[in-house]
Amino acid sequence: MTKSEYLTEYDGIVKSVQMYIDGSKQGKSELMRPAFHPDASFFGYAGDQLAIGTQFLFDWIDKNGPAPKIEPRVVSVDILESIAVVRLEVSGWSGNLAGSGVRMSDLFTLLKMPSGWKIIQKAFHWYA
Amino acid sequence: MRPQLSSVASGIVFRGGFGMPARNTPQKTLESWKQIAAYLDRSERTVRRWEASEGLPVHRREHDKQDTVFAYRHEIEAWSRLHTKCPREISTDEAESLPPVKSATNAYLIEHDAITRTMHCYIAGARAGDGDLMRPAFHPSATISGYCQGVEYSGSVEHVFQWVTKNGPAPNINPRFARIEIIESVAVVHLEVQRWSGKLAGANARASDVFTLLKWNGEWKITHKLFHWHDQ
Repeated sequence: MTKSEYLTEYDGIVKSVQMYIDGSKQGKSELMRPAFHPDASFFGYAGDQLAIGTQFLFDWIDKNGPAPKIEPRVVSVDILESIAVVRLEVSGWSGNLAGSGVRMSDLFTLLKMPSGWKIIQKAFHWYA
Repeated sequence: MRPQLSSVASGIVFRGGFGMPARNTPQKTLESWKQIAAYLDRSERTVRRWEASEGLPVHRREHDKQDTVFAYRHEIEAWSRLHTKCPREISTDEAESLPPVKSATNAYLIEHDAITRTMHCYIAGARAGDGDLMRPAFHPSATISGYCQGVEYSGSVEHVFQWVTKNGPAPNINPRFARIEIIESVAVVHLEVQRWSGKLAGANARASDVFTLLKWNGEWKITHKLFHWHDQ
């Protein structure tokens, strides 16, 4: 991969993750849905409950509502040809369900599709 | 914690071999902690601890200022044999599925070892061509995604088990852990596998796999396998 190829892929990957961030900040799952693969999965603990499935995520985002003060940081982006891993650290989570000042670590895996990079899984750790 | 000598001692490599002690050779004694440690392929600190807590036969010569230590090779070998329990033959498959249990006391290493054990379960199944063998490594709701010969595939992990079984044994696969990252209850493992073979894999294929794991009921389970087959 040349430098410019790498940057093109990097930008495409971060663009999808940014859609997740925008949806989270505004509390609108419709903003992040296009970034997800139709068969995407979602895994993690919300308190003691194991949350599985992207529908859980989208419902949660809509019910949580706006989280205007989230501070997202892309910690790492690893690209292996057609697949990629992104670690995102988000602090300052707030909202109807999140409470306030909550921190979350996210692991996104992405697959390169003809329509661009799509999130195929989001795994998360919620610091209760 | 007291070291598990049964596992520690069984890993000892004898530089001098397992033959009868060569009593009449000039090298029959080991003349310092350094030499004893080198003979057992362990650190000086470890062999000192073994002397203190496990009875490793080390002798002392009295001198005016400071005693010196020495050991007889045949005594060291005899001690080691006594402390080696069940020196059974371990098959390659078993060695893959059951890496030696180390007495990890560091919290990070405990999780790291648990994750690699889960991954070795996957590798053992891949090597043997047995989907059921790797099943315990996965969460029941696990999924897979990736491209195989240019065709995108996403779906249930059951298809991996079927593929592996249909592919048959891949005895020469060479898996390497390129990355293991643990974030509390979730983890990501990047596995590079060379020399994939079999009815479906072909010969000498290479795959990059990214596994996401979840700590579930106290055990690390793979929730997603993302793969990329490299062009040959």
